Amino acid sequence: MSVRVQMGSRVGAFLLVAAVAAAVGTEVAAQEDLPGVELGLFYANTYLPALAVQPFTGTFGGDALAPQVEAIVGRDLRNSDRFEVLDSLPGAMVGPRVDYALWDRLGAVWLVTGQVEGAGDGFLLNLELHDVVYGEVREQGRFRVPNPSDEDFRMAVHRASDEIVRWATGDPGMAASRIAFTMTDNAGNKDVYVIDSDGENLRRVTRYDNLTESPTWSPDGQRLVFASWKTGVARIYEIDRFGNNERMLPPVRGAGDYITPTYHPNGRTIAFSVLGSSSQSGVFTYNLADDCCLSFLSGGPWYDISPTYSADGRWLAFNTLRFGDAVPQVMMMPSEGGTAETLSPYAYGSGGFYAAPDWSPHGDLVAFHGRIDRRGRYHILVANLEDGGRVLRQLTTEGNNEAPSWAPDGRHLVFVGERGWGFGLMIADVTTGRIRSLLGGRQVGLPDWSPALPPT
Amino acid sequence: MIVRRFFVSVFAATLLVGACGGDPPPPPPPPQPDQDSLRRYNDSVAAAEAARRAEAERLAAERAAEAERQRRIREARATLEEMVFFDYDMSEIRPDAATALRAKVEILRASPQVQLRIEGHADERGSTEYNMALGNRRAEAIRQFLTGFGLAENRFEIVSFGEGRPLQQGSNEAAWARNRRGQFVITAGANMINPPGN
Repeated sequence: MSVRVQMGSRVGAFLLVAAVAAAVGTEVAAQEDLPGVELGLFYANTYLPALAVQPFTGTFGGDALAPQVEAIVGRDLRNSDRFEVLDSLPGAMVGPRVDYALWDRLGAVWLVTGQVEGAGDGFLLNLELHDVVYGEVREQGRFRVPNPSDEDFRMAVHRASDEIVRWATGDPGMAASRIAFTMTDNAGNKDVYVIDSDGENLRRVTRYDNLTESPTWSPDGQRLVFASWKTGVARIYEIDRFGNNERMLPPVRGAGDYITPTYHPNGRTIAFSVLGSSSQSGVFTYNLADDCCLSFLSGGPWYDISPTYSADGRWLAFNTLRFGDAVPQVMMMPSEGGTAETLSPYAYGSGGFYAAPDWSPHGDLVAFHGRIDRRGRYHILVANLEDGGRVLRQLTTEGNNEAPSWAPDGRHLVFVGERGWGFGLMIADVTTGRIRSLLGGRQVGLPDWSPALPPT
Repeated sequence: MIVRRFFVSVFAATLLVGACGGDPPPPPPPPQPDQDSLRRYNDSVAAAEAARRAEAERLAAERAAEAERQRRIREARATLEEMVFFDYDMSEIRPDAATALRAKVEILRASPQVQLRIEGHADERGSTEYNMALGNRRAEAIRQFLTGFGLAENRFEIVSFGEGRPLQQGSNEAAWARNRRGQFVITAGANMINPPGN
């Protein structure tokens, strides 16, 4: 069921739909508090093919590592939300050969087999994806995996998992990626931290013991840009992913807060906001490659913040306070400058709070968070810009939720969830509506999902 | 016996000599107090005492005045640094904030060397990045209020800390109300504060 929304906005009608976890048929109470907007709800039972992972084997010294690799791959495939991953069978129940009839009886559509082979100072991971229904190998591949002590070990396995997803669905998974975010310590200071997409390898990247906000990955996943108050005022800095080689961008000491930086998809420029400067407030760009050329893009006496580029770099979505206090709205404009139009369902006098846009790396989807009812709850929303028709989906239904960021697969979002137990990083799958916790019980903020990380 | 007689005769002789030498000169009169010099003396003592007392009083008064001046400078400084608070999600100056800012204006007018950093803060609700902008708007609203009274804009710098520097921990209205605020830091002329009316 979906309800077309009557609105006076010039961007046309919105279709607001609430996505609900596929497995559950419960109906979300219609939210009728947004003036001028009728909300309907919509959920599709997404079909997820059943996938089984046969216990991995090992040769030439790979035996010891096989269970660990298998566990990483199994969890990655679960986290991809593309399959119903069946519980593992004990190795004793399955022979060396693939028994398609057995897996078929267990309901598996896909079967993954793997073998870890010692090779020089590392390992080779041989993977096969079997089509159980047709009883044949669909795809196979060999992946070089370094020693477990190597920094890239888990990422190498994740990259293999992402290939399995691509074999089965045509689109790679997002396991080989990291999430940067801020975490507040007991003294109230925020620094930048990074965690792998599967919740492993949490580590601290900056050590300013000050206020640090809006960490954002470069398109190659090798650098981070963020705002820091370490000199007493907000300025933008870039570091490499280990926290070294810091430089200030742009290297200016003018008045105003320099905040909310983001990279252009070509990695050559950044866009960010300068607020409270005596000259101009709004969105600026700066050329990283040439370390020059601060240029003004949009703004004026109002406040435009949180810019985010479309994947092709031609569009820029941003958050604006130009309609006044308490009603920030999401707008979009050509990235070279031009007329901005409203993306969030703003109607004069109706209120509505929409903030923190992030443009999908695939297609015309912009995620942000908003308070669409008057009960003061913030939820993750996704606007679909396809063909000029805008569709707004609500992904979360409980607690408060903010600051979504797209995974490289263009289908998962990481965001900050506030629940009864506290704050945490959570991951939602836009397609199935599944939500999992990535890092719970910490004072976390402003997550940014990296691109797919290539071998180092 | 001879010794005694000799003594007596010497004594008699002495008496004789004395009786035969005429009237002795009168002893010098004991110094009589001169009334003028006495008065002068007393006057000078009193004057010195008065001067001492006056000096002490003057010093005390000076100290008191200085203490009073220091107290008024401290008070003026506290007035300059007094925080102002905002309504939820708003950057509009509330009436109570306007009163507090008006008091700052008088001090700033009398103290042209003083410069301020205005810090804008937000409570934790809403959006972290939006709250940076909201904090900036609050600081800017304060700056506009102050420059509206003719104070030079370059005496104020503004910085937003968003929700990053709460005054009071906690996720409740009491904490939020304390956290959405403008704070003031004297960045120049801290030793040149003139309380208004001097």
